[in-house]
Amino acid sequence: MPTNNKIMKSIFDWFSRRFKKWYHPDPMMVILLRSLAMTEEHEISCDDVYAVLDQFVEAVHRGENVLIFMPLVRQHLDMCPDCRAEYEALLSMLQPSFYVGAR
Amino acid sequence: MTNTRDNDTWLKDLRAGGAQRNAALAELHTMLIRALPQGLSRLLSPENPEFESLIEDTVQETLLRVLNGLDTFEGRSQFTTWAYKIAVRVALNELRRRRWRDVSLEGLEGDEANNGAARQFASSDPLPESVVERAEILQRVQQILAEELTERQRAAMNAIHMQGVPMEEVARRMGTNRNALYKLMHDARLRLKRRLEREDLNPKELLEMFEQ
Repeated sequence: MPTNNKIMKSIFDWFSRRFKKWYHPDPMMVILLRSLAMTEEHEISCDDVYAVLDQFVEAVHRGENVLIFMPLVRQHLDMCPDCRAEYEALLSMLQPSFYVGAR
Repeated sequence: MTNTRDNDTWLKDLRAGGAQRNAALAELHTMLIRALPQGLSRLLSPENPEFESLIEDTVQETLLRVLNGLDTFEGRSQFTTWAYKIAVRVALNELRRRRWRDVSLEGLEGDEANNGAARQFASSDPLPESVVERAEILQRVQQILAEELTERQRAAMNAIHMQGVPMEEVARRMGTNRNALYKLMHDARLRLKRRLEREDLNPKELLEMFEQ
């Protein structure tokens, strides 16, 4: 014999399941809303990012605050999965021993 | 392996002929062979039978591009970081091509999500007031998406965000390039955002509401 709490919980769970499908957006819309929330009027292109990616990655590697001097690159990396993958791969390739001192 | 040359020396040696250039190429080859597996470790297991050939092919292609592109190096980073950047682009493009070459993009373009959303409002069962309000807003947003996004934009978004298809591959299938595709997506996002704003809908607030 289930207790009252168990009965209440089963009723609550039933309502949750019953109504969830009525007002929850599909995953595509959630992803789209997230990207819209991060959308800026002016965004730089993949080519723009590629042009400075080596410079950007070295700055990150040195621990500099790239949000201050390259915010548009950072924003693009948040929006573009391909550029982000290239950024992560390049960053992981850098080792301190490779540094001799850029111009 | 330590980088024994500064940027000017790399450029001078690679522009020189004969043994001087060969020595620089050999050093760069060795550095790439050592560093590239680290860069690809999250994307392809070293145990994969294609791993070694991918590394070697990438390095060869990278050396060619480096030699052809010496004049485009602006010295804003280490020369080796610039070369690694080229290697990463070559390797990831090849990986994307291999991984998705047999996948039909048409098969990724289903509009099940929108159909599902339409079905959500098919019933006439009574709902609590807050749920009704949320459902109405969701319906408005769905309507805006349907009105503002072209089929091409919807297909691209679905492939990239839902199926995880790389933008590079989606762009290739669409007969365009990644740069143009990003612009297409940015234009679409901007148009949607402006339309939502005109209708007093804020994406962040919508997310918060739907995620409650």
